[in-house]
This record gives sequence, structure tokens and C-alpha cells, in this order.
Amino acid sequence: MDLPLFRHNRPNRVVTFDEYREEGGFEGLKKAFSGMSPNDVQQAVLDSGLRGRGGAGFATGRKWSFVPRDLPGPRWLICNCDEMEPGTYKDRVLLEHNPYSLIEGMTLACYALGVRHAFIFIRKGYEKAAANLARGMEEAKKAGLLGEHILGSEHSIELDLHLSAGRYICGEETALINALEGKRPNPRSKPPFPAIKGLWQGPTVVNNVETLANVPAIVANGAAWFKGLALNPEGAGSKLFCVSGSVKNRACVELPIGTTLGDIIDGACGGMRDGKKFKACIPGGASTQFLKPEHWNLPMDYDTVAKAGSRLGSGGVIVFDEGHCLVEATLNLINFFARESCGWCTPCREGLPYVKEILTRIENGRGEEDDITILREHVKYLNYTFCALAPGAMAPLDGLLRDFEDEVRDHIVKKKCPLK
Amino acid sequence: MPKLIIDDIPVEVAPGTSVLEAARSVGITIPHFCYHPALAIAAACRLCAVKLLDGPVKGIQMSCALPAQDGMVVSTTDPEALKMRALVIEWLMLNHPHDCPVCDEGGECLLQDFTIAGGHSRRRYQGKKRTFQNQYLGEGIHHEMNRCIECYRCVRFYQDYAGGTDFGVMGSAGRVYFGRFQEGALESPFSGNLVDICPTGVFTDKTGRFRARYWDYQFAPSICQHCSVGCNTSPQNFQRETIKIVGRRNDQVNGWFICDRARFDKGYLNDPQRPREPRLDGATCGYDVAVDAAAKSIAEFVRNNGADKLALVGSTRLSLEGMIVLAQVAEAAGGAKVCYFDDAGLQQGSLAAAKLLHEENAAYVKDIEQAQWIALHALDLMEEGPMLALAVRKAFLAGAQIFLVAGDTLPACKALPFKYTSVETLDQVPFEGGGKGVIICGAGSKDPELLAEMASSGAKLVMLQPGPNGFAAALLTQQHAAGPLAELVAARQVQAVVCFEADVPQTLLSDLEVLANADWRRGAVEAKAPIFLPTTTWAESDGTAINYEGRAQRFERSRVAGLPLKGLDPKYYGSATEAVTLHPPRVHRKDVPGGAERDAWQVMAQLIERLGGEPVEPLTGKWRALKSLDPEGEGVRILEMGLGE
Amino acid sequence: MIPETLKKSLQARVASAITAREAAVDVMKELQAHYGWLTDEAVQEAAALLGLSPLQVEELATFYEMIYRRPVGKKVIHVCDSISCWCADCDKIIQYLKDKLGVGLGGTTADGMFTLLPCCCMGMCGDSPAMSVGGVPYGRLTPELVDEILEAERHKV
Ligand SMILES: Cc1cc2nc3c(=O)[nH]c(=O)nc-3n(C[C@H](O)[C@H](O)[C@H](O)COP(=O)(O)O)c2cc1C
Ligand code: SF4
Ligand code: SF4
Ligand code: SF4
Ligand code: FES
Ligand code: FES
Repeated sequence: MDLPLFRHNRPNRVVTFDEYREEGGFEGLKKAFSGMSPNDVQQAVLDSGLRGRGGAGFATGRKWSFVPRDLPGPRWLICNCDEMEPGTYKDRVLLEHNPYSLIEGMTLACYALGVRHAFIFIRKGYEKAAANLARGMEEAKKAGLLGEHILGSEHSIELDLHLSAGRYICGEETALINALEGKRPNPRSKPPFPAIKGLWQGPTVVNNVETLANVPAIVANGAAWFKGLALNPEGAGSKLFCVSGSVKNRACVELPIGTTLGDIIDGACGGMRDGKKFKACIPGGASTQFLKPEHWNLPMDYDTVAKAGSRLGSGGVIVFDEGHCLVEATLNLINFFARESCGWCTPCREGLPYVKEILTRIENGRGEEDDITILREHVKYLNYTFCALAPGAMAPLDGLLRDFEDEVRDHIVKKKCPLK
Repeated sequence: MPKLIIDDIPVEVAPGTSVLEAARSVGITIPHFCYHPALAIAAACRLCAVKLLDGPVKGIQMSCALPAQDGMVVSTTDPEALKMRALVIEWLMLNHPHDCPVCDEGGECLLQDFTIAGGHSRRRYQGKKRTFQNQYLGEGIHHEMNRCIECYRCVRFYQDYAGGTDFGVMGSAGRVYFGRFQEGALESPFSGNLVDICPTGVFTDKTGRFRARYWDYQFAPSICQHCSVGCNTSPQNFQRETIKIVGRRNDQVNGWFICDRARFDKGYLNDPQRPREPRLDGATCGYDVAVDAAAKSIAEFVRNNGADKLALVGSTRLSLEGMIVLAQVAEAAGGAKVCYFDDAGLQQGSLAAAKLLHEENAAYVKDIEQAQWIALHALDLMEEGPMLALAVRKAFLAGAQIFLVAGDTLPACKALPFKYTSVETLDQVPFEGGGKGVIICGAGSKDPELLAEMASSGAKLVMLQPGPNGFAAALLTQQHAAGPLAELVAARQVQAVVCFEADVPQTLLSDLEVLANADWRRGAVEAKAPIFLPTTTWAESDGTAINYEGRAQRFERSRVAGLPLKGLDPKYYGSATEAVTLHPPRVHRKDVPGGAERDAWQVMAQLIERLGGEPVEPLTGKWRALKSLDPEGEGVRILEMGLGE
Repeated sequence: MIPETLKKSLQARVASAITAREAAVDVMKELQAHYGWLTDEAVQEAAALLGLSPLQVEELATFYEMIYRRPVGKKVIHVCDSISCWCADCDKIIQYLKDKLGVGLGGTTADGMFTLLPCCCMGMCGDSPAMSVGGVPYGRLTPELVDEILEAERHKV
């Protein structure tokens, strides 16, 4: 299948610059620089139906269209490679195999947005991906595809890497901007949105690695081609699904948008591990609700998954089998979020440890009937936080209370974890 | 002008007003912690939740961060909003130590108020409370981190508002810590405001901890008497002792804050060594005896030497009332001289400034804050008017260019909370025809020609006066053609002085006879005067001060005169006649121990009567307009009232 | 004190940044690499390089997971305890590491070689359970593999 992202991948090594070019790499860039206006590029992205792959799924072309072009002072583009959402490792796999799609995609995005200087914000631990990017950027520069006077044109675009030091909240786009500026990475209030006032107060677009890496193929092959890749009519393009948990072959795979959950697990991952039974999964990274066996044939696209009560999110699919206690799994997730709270707003900073304390008690057989009420209050009122971290943290808890309340009650009534 | 409805009350507010402020304008207090009018919106505590029932946005919203818009229907009492607020309180209480009985904030604690208001009373959380270690932050402020509710007010004030860099927020998640890199005294000269701005008992005033509760204090609106900016304060007194001094809001002067000198430099008020008893030739006497003696001494001197050889000497720390009546004493003495300054240079500069300033060119604080450029002329701002440094900082943050003219060697410039360019002369300040520029200088000892040159630049002017009431001293000097004492002494025109709160230097004193001295301070004049008349300080008197911009402000008596109860000498409990103290003591007294002090102008008024003059009232004639000054108002600029002429 | 060469290269890094602050994380990481952890002295050096106060550097240093403000062993072991690794029974691996090294979480071995710290998802979820030793990532851990890795890391410089 001719999917845009992984088609250049080689097993166990990074594709070379020459290989990438031989397989049609940088054709999108060339096409854009010979005859397409910046607006044409933006229009192609808009028409393609590409939606943000970082979690929120916002239409990329629309986000770009919010950037005012008539303000004095620089505009900025930032690629978000913070990827610290548990269960998500797609950006790493992509960049460890191919840094060029991102470099080309960012150059195209800069061209479309009139950005002269862009940053790639990379999390700690992704040094290999960073090294690939650094090398790829040098190669692209030498070949006149990046840097001064790209392809002999009057356009010059600079790319810089920013290596972070590890915090999940840095992935939130406004916190990321603070981090990049060297400030404490607390989120900023929205509005103003980054598209209007972002990095150093200039208009700024923040996009995920996968989002930007899709741009070259969209420009090269056209919006209609990209849209047509999806298996469902409303969808567009492909998606990287990174699967972990109780499957036979845990892998990061590129599949058309609209591939069913069952096909991801059975098809791409060889089915459940050790003949275990599928109990539930988290479809889009730690901050999404559970999907259940009844969702086996659910086409994995933004709106369909949302309708099923969860989110496609980042595409990090975490699969649980019947041996997994979902109270403990949720506790693990909450523990992560409580630790990663930035500490700015009260509900998140104090509410998450509260939830953690309750789930710990329930898991250890010391739960009380009241606890479920308190948990539900948190699910509802942690929506009113300063940023989306805490609502994200509540998603699995919401799912737990919605779909597995019996399991929770069982813990309380039996005064122990029924699976231990 | 957005029109909205809050709890069924129609409200119309200026664009940009938040829903929280709109509610406040109709008397509804929405609970809040992180919101503070002087600071940027943080929207961190999430306590100010309200529910929007209709309009452009719906559902639960944070009212502090939500600009009021047309058509909004807001409920502050919706059950969902109440639940959110109750939960925020519950979350904050998970770790709060609840140590109100031993917390000096108790009684004036926003957290107490809103916890009660929020209705949270039953603990559901079963976990342990987190604890922190406190830091030593200097002699001014005590640190008790466990009480923190992470509203980020302190750091937003200290770093963003006041430009300090040695205090901030560390850590993250449930372990945010507000403090310093290492223990040590806070460096910002505005650090004391942490006490006021922290809504809990994390920062309390170490100089007055555990002495009294809010409801025990006597306090009144007052004006700081440390420099000519005239910041508004509120001294908190307990049993005749000034325990704490806190800032009082006046947007025309100091906003919400005061400098550390205003707050902590108060020891002299409570000083047990303060001279409190009237004295005649070294022996304590009754007040009237001393006044009689002073009047007699004046009359005798005038008879023997002529009135014009006598000077009545005041100073820039005398109240306006005192200054006015001082001239009347001179008159009653038969035409004695009057002095408000001893130094010729100070008088010349102060006078020139008062003459040059008029309603159009005298800068308002807002003019400083909104200036495009500011020139500080040979000025140690942190010494002469610290609070103005924060106004300059606001302009700086908004992009103004700041120049320090001929001032690089001044010691405190290192601590200025803004960046500046050093230049040698005013000509090097690249301003065009004034525009939105402000020149700030100290008027004292300045060449009047230089001051005139500044005034002709078209820039707005700040000319700081030597002393808290220098502007008034200049006006009265002008009115009475008063001379600087030093010149009169040099010209041998004066042989004797009667001093009122005057700090005459030793060099001048040696050529003078001091007939009598009235003051609340000890010093060289007091040592030389055969008659001593104790006066009250600003804390124990009513009065008026005029700040550098000609703004007259009223301060009120915040406590009675007298020795603090704490540490009171046992002799006041004993009996003068019985050698052995009886129990229970049976000493009856109607007067307050050490409470003989009188306001300076009243002492003068008594002198006038003894000298045969008519009873006087200070604020009469052209000053009558200031009689009704509201001590809780913004004061009035007398430049507008023509009182300067 | 940092060597002159390191100081020069950090000064160059700061100079090339759009604002000095932007280089703060890089500077802290370099100083940490030099000292092993971000010592008080390093905080002060970073502050001087960045034109910030030590407190302002501390505000950043204490935010990031991978900046150590306390002494650590020669190599830090970060073992992931997030959800995918939990599915792969990281609890067992963590227990094994504790037993083997004779330290609790946050502890440093008696010989000063290793410090054991839990960490958030490393992006190795497909290869869970995962850990990193001195910055080198390892996945699909088993007790045997842990033995091998520690042995090798102990002798690798
Ligand atoms: C707590 C939090 C963490 C996030 N982490 C990431 C991340 O690691 N990578 C990412 O691309 N987006 C992350 N996001 C989403 C970003 O805020 C932002 O929406 C995204 O980068 C936009 O890119 P996209 O439109 O291409 O998806 C995170 C959001 C939140 C609230
Ligand atoms: S929700 Fe959590 S992460 Fe987001 S601002 Fe509030 S405390 Fe920080
Ligand atoms: S901060 Fe307020 S609520 Fe807390 S202990 Fe002090 S007085 Fe009580
Ligand atoms: S110390 Fe006080 S002002 Fe600062 S965050 Fe804590 S409660 Fe707020
Ligand atoms: S007062 Fe509005 S969030 Fe704190
Ligand atoms: S959960 Fe452990 S590496 Fe992702």
C-alpha cells in the first residue's frame, strides 16, 4: 500500500537521503516552489482533510488559516515532538526511520505560513531521532532544500532543534512555547491562541510530527489522493497506530484512517497475546476513554471514535486483557498525570492526588461507597482546569466508572482486588 | 459598553472588564484567590467559578478571566458553580495545616473567609498532608510554606510587578515551593508587600507576629512620612504600640503597595527612649508649666533683643498644620523670623520646584506609567522615592526608554527594577519636544536654572522634595519669605531659635541660643534646649501632608499618645507615696503613662495664646479648602486649587 | 569551576540563541553532564552564563524530570512505570532492580555507580518494559537482561 509516512522505512535502520529522494522525497517541495503559491499549499492541506495527529485532531489547514499574515514581526512554526503521553511512540518510530518527511513537511509549512524560522521541540530520550534530524537538516541544506535561498528562490527557512529535559506538560502547545522561550513550562491562557500570540508574542503554529510529515505527500500527490486513502468516506489519510499491551506483536503501524480496531489488533498485531481475551483498550494514548469488545469493528477515525465515547487521540493503542485490573490500570494512569501536573491550577494539582489516594484505597481493599461519588465529582469538575491535562487525565477514570463500575464496586464490596 | 446580567442584576461595564469585576461593581463578591487587581490574570486557583446561563459563552467559567460581553447571563449561585467552588476549597484544604490559632494571618485571612463561605466543613480526604521546610527570609518576613495555596500571587508580585529576581517558584505538580534559591534576606526593597498580597499566612510580618489579632487593632488611614511620595498606609496599633504597617490603596499615589521602609521602619514610634515628658531645665514638669516657661522665655528674648533676632524653626517633617501655625507664632512674638529649611540649597531647590510645577506639567503617576521615555536626573530613586521605581518599571515593561542622567555613581542604582541607559547630560536624552516623556529628579540642592531648563523641555515633571512635607514647606517659605536658617545665622540676623520638629545641625547650633524645643525625637536640639515640649508623631496625630506633586493628603490619629503597654515600667503601677507596692495596686490615674505629647500645631497655638494672640485654627483662610479632605480619598492636587500662589 | 573550553562553548550557545533564556535547558544539561548533577555551583554558573539569577535557574531546574538537583550515581537508571510498561509487568522489573541494587527508588548504590529512579513513559511502549541507563534506552526487559545490561554498563565508560 502506498501510504505517505512509512513507505520510505527500512527495517532496523534510517532511510538515507538519497533513498528518500529516489522514492519521490522532496518532490512536494519542488512542486510547491515551482508554481504553487503559499496559499496554494495551505489550500491543499485544507482540502486534504488532514487533522492534527498530536491528540486534539484539529483541522491543520484551518489552524494555519488563523495566522495573521499582515502583522509586523516574525511568525513561527514549532513541531511538537514532546511525545510523552503513555502508550504513544509513533513520532519516535517515524523519526528513527525517516527524518526527511518531517524536514520537508516543515519547510512546506514554513513556505505556506511565511515563516522564516522554525523549531522542532524534542523530548528527552529521543536523542536518536534528534541526531537523525540534525543530519537530515545538514543534508537538506547542502542540497539547497533548506536554509538560504531554497531551490534558488528568494525563500530562506531556518530549522532549529530544541532538546527538552523531560516533562509531559511541555507537549501542551502553550507550555511548549514557554519551555522553548526558557520559561517555566506552565501553560498560557487561551485566548490569545498561539496562532495570534505565541512564541515571543508572535503568531505561531504548533503541529505534531506526524501531522507535518504528511504534508509533502499531500502537496506532491494532491488533496484528493490523500483524502482517498482513508477507508471511511469522512476520513482522510493514514494514521500511525502504536500498539502496546496484550497483543502478540506490539508495533507501530501505518494504516488507513478508518481501519477497524479489530483489524489493528488481529491484522497488524497478530491478535491477542497468549490467547488472552480482549477486555478493553485505550485507543489514543493515556488521556482517552476505554473502548470495549463491542467496539471491535469500530472504524478508527476521529468522529467515529468520538461518537463511541472516546478519542482517536495520538493513536497510542493500549490493549488490556481479562487478567488486567482496570482499577489498577486507571490508578497507574492517574499516578502519571498527578506526577506530570504542572502545578499551576488547583483542581489538577490537588484533585489528581486526591483521586490517586482513593483509587489506591479501592485497589487495596479499603474503598468506601462514598468514594465513587467523590470520583464522579472529580470526573466532572476536573474539566474546569487551566489546560487540557486534567480533563485528559479524567478520561480513563470516566471510562472506568462508565464501563466498569461493577469492577470498581467489586473491589469495594469484596474489600480486595478481585483479580489478585 | 457590554451589558450583562449577573444574578438578575443588569450591569453595564467598560469593555475589558472581567465578569468578576463587573459583579464587584454591583456589590457581589465572587470568591477568588489568585485574582488581584494589580496583577496580571493567572486563572490558577479556579475558585471564581460562575455559571453562564445564556449568551456568547455558556457553562462553568472562571469569572476573573472572562471579559464581560453583551448578552451574558451570569449566575454566581448556580448549584454547579457552588459545587465547583466548594471543591476548590476542599482541594486546597487537603494539605492546608489548619493552624489558624497559631497563624498570624488569622482574622485577616482570605482563605479563612472563603473556606467558611465555600461551605466546606467535612474532611473526606484520607491521605496525609504534605509538608515543607521553611526558609529564613530576613528579619522582615516569616515563612510558613505549609499554608500555601499556590495562588502564585507572591511570585507574580515579586518578579513581574516589582522586578525582584531572588524569590520565585520552584518545583511542580504537588510540590511547588515559593521561596529563594538559598536561605537569606529577601533583596527586593518591596519584599514586605508579600505579607499583604499573600491571601494566607505563608508570609507574615516578623516584626509584629503574635501580638494581636485584626480585631484588636486600632487603625486609621495614614500617610507614610519617609519620603515625599506620600504613600498611603494603615498603621495597625495595639495597646499604644504600632505593631504593623500595611499598604493602603491609592491609585493616584502608590497603587496597592508600599516600600519596605514604610512598612518596617517603625521602631522609632514605639521607642521607649522617645522623649515623652515636658522638661524645664532638665527636670520633668507639667505640660502647661513648660509652655508657660517657653512663652516667657520668648517674650523676654524679644524684649531684650528684638523680635527679628528670633527665628521660629520648623522642618519638612512638620505637618502642614504645624507649618501654618508656626508663622503665626512668629507673628505673635512680635514679628520674629520663621524658617522651614536650615540648608540654603535645599530651600532653593524645593522652592524652585514648587514654583515651576503647575497642573499641566506636574506628572501624575499614570503619566510615569504610560511614558514613552523617562529621564532620571542625578537621582537615587530607591532612596528618594522608592515607590516611583515601580511606576517607572511599568513604563519600562510597556516599552519606554529609561535614561539615568549623571547618576551612575549613585549607590542604589544597582537595585533599580528596570534597565536604563546611562548618559551624562540631559541633552543626551533623545526626546522630541517632550511628548510623552517624564523627567524625574530630586529638587533639593538643585540649581533652579537646571530645574527651569527641565520644565521648559515640555516633559512632565517629577521633582521629589527633600522630606515628606517639603512641598508644603516650600509654599510657606514662599508665602512668608522665610529664610534658610543657615543664611540667617551666617548673616548674624538670628541669635536664638525656638524649634518645632526641626533637625538643626550642630554647626548652626553652636552659634545659636535655643529657647525651647518641641519634638518627638531626641537629638542635638533637644540636648541644648532648656525647655522641652514633647510632640506626637504622625501615628498619634491628625494632619495634612503635601507630596512631591502637590497632592494634599490627610492622615488620621491611629492611636492615642503614650508609652506602649508592652514593657511599661513598673513604676507606673506603683505609688509615689508608698515605698512598698501594695496588692492589688491602688494607684488611680486618669492620664496615659507617657501620654503628655501634644500635636505640634496645638503646642504652637497655646504659645500664641500665652503671647497674647488670638486662638488659632490652622486650616483657615486659603487653606480652608483642605479642611474637608477625605483621609480615605485620593487626596487633592493643590496645584488645581491655586493654593500654590 | 567549569573548564574554559566548556565555558566558551556555552557562551557561544547562549549568544546564538534568540534570547539568552532560550538556551537555559541546554546550558543546564551541559553543566549536569560535566558535574554529574546540577550542583549549587552549577546553578550559579548557569545563572551567570544566562544573565539570570540563581533562583531563576532553579525555577527551571526543579521543573524538569531529567535535571538532577541532588547528587546521583555515575549512571542514572530511569525505569518506566507508565501504563504500557505496567501492562508488561514493570512492577516485577522495578522490584528486581531494587533487590539487585540494594536500593529503593531514589537511592544510589553503595559504590556510587547507579541511582534508581522511576520515570514516565519513555516512548518505548512497544518494547516495554523499558528503562534507560545513563541515557541509553533498553526495552523488553527480563531479569536476565537486566543483569546483562547492568554488568555491561558498569564497565562501559
Ligand atoms: C497535556 C498535553 C500534552 C500534550 N502532548 C503532546 C505531545 O506530546 N505531542 C503533540 O504533538 N501534541 C501534544 N499535545 C497537543 C498539543 O497541545 C497540540 O494540540 C498539538 O501539538 C497540535 O498539533 P496537531 O494539530 O498537529 O495535532 C498535548 C496536549 C496536552 C493538553
Ligand atoms: S490542568 Fe494541570 S497541567 Fe494544566 S495548567 Fe492546571 S495544573 Fe497545570
Ligand atoms: S493561612 Fe488562614 S486558614 Fe490557614 S492557618 Fe493561617 S489563618 Fe488559618
Ligand atoms: S505563598 Fe501565598 S501568595 Fe504565594 S502562592 Fe502561596 S498562598 Fe499564594
Ligand atoms: S480568581 Fe479566578 S481563577 Fe483564581
Ligand atoms: S509506558 Fe513505558 S515506555 Fe511508554
